[in-house]
Amino acid sequence: MEIDRYRRQILVKEIGQKGQKLLASKHAILIGGGGLGSNSANLLIRMGIESIDIIDYDTIDKTNLHRTAVFSEQDVGKSKALVLQERLQSVNTDVQVKGINKKVTSKNIKSLVQLADVIIDGTDNIPLRLLINETAIKHKIPWVYAGVYETVGMVMAILPKKTACFQCITPNIPDSKTQEIPVLGSLPATIAAIQCNETIKVLLGKQPAGLLIYDVWNQYFDILDVKRNPCCPICGKK
Amino acid sequence: MKIAVKIFGRYKDITGKETIQLDIMDGNTLQDVVNAFVKQYPAAEKDKSRMMVTKNNMFASFDTTVAKEDEITLAPPVVSGG
Ligand SMILES: [Zn+2]
Repeated sequence: MEIDRYRRQILVKEIGQKGQKLLASKHAILIGGGGLGSNSANLLIRMGIESIDIIDYDTIDKTNLHRTAVFSEQDVGKSKALVLQERLQSVNTDVQVKGINKKVTSKNIKSLVQLADVIIDGTDNIPLRLLINETAIKHKIPWVYAGVYETVGMVMAILPKKTACFQCITPNIPDSKTQEIPVLGSLPATIAAIQCNETIKVLLGKQPAGLLIYDVWNQYFDILDVKRNPCCPICGKK
Repeated sequence: MKIAVKIFGRYKDITGKETIQLDIMDGNTLQDVVNAFVKQYPAAEKDKSRMMVTKNNMFASFDTTVAKEDEITLAPPVVSGG
């Protein structure tokens, strides 16, 4: 690891040389390379981790460009995962960046995430998040939920059996109709940055913050401190 | 009975408050709390089936019963876009 490139980050007392070296030993799995995922990958790779797998089976559409990082017009039609790999590898050659052009399913998720120190949520639907949650809790892998809708974003770092899980916070499961989700273009970058902050804290062993809710339009930044639900079918005792 | 309900996100904008009082009956459930909330603030009606509700700092399903001393919070539904 070339340490000097991180000099300004190492000066942050919460990180230091020790934190930077620890980050350089961590493997992240990012599921979804769209608005949230492209921004998260961009930030994490710059901040320095050991390696990241970016998993997405989708191709870049021109309607993605208003809220994504990295992609440009000439990328339309190409694989999100592979374009992110190519561009972001050149940002930081210390980090092993691997694009995986694959759909995450209940059959392959275990083999895709089992070596992760953290899973980063860049997905766009609840069922996939519930699958990530179940797998992460079962295999004791921390993961960081993030989501956006209109002008509202949410982030929650989930430590298996320590914090509330995604199932704990969604006992009243929203309907999973697939529809075009309205999103303010600048919001995924904002929320992805908060998600990366939480990810770094998880990787360095700092207790995460609870469910963060940011509402751009109404200017609210709230934190819901939530406990694990002992009756949760995924992380509870039963 | 009157219960104090702490609210989050855009519900603060809808109500102009951080904590509201809702009138419910003894033995009522969180579903009744949600119903009382959207009746008083119809702008939250579209979230009715998916609202995030906590009781004593724990997310809870709508069929959970509520007592006067319970700490209840209401927040807009979990967001799922990426
Ligand atoms: Zn749980």
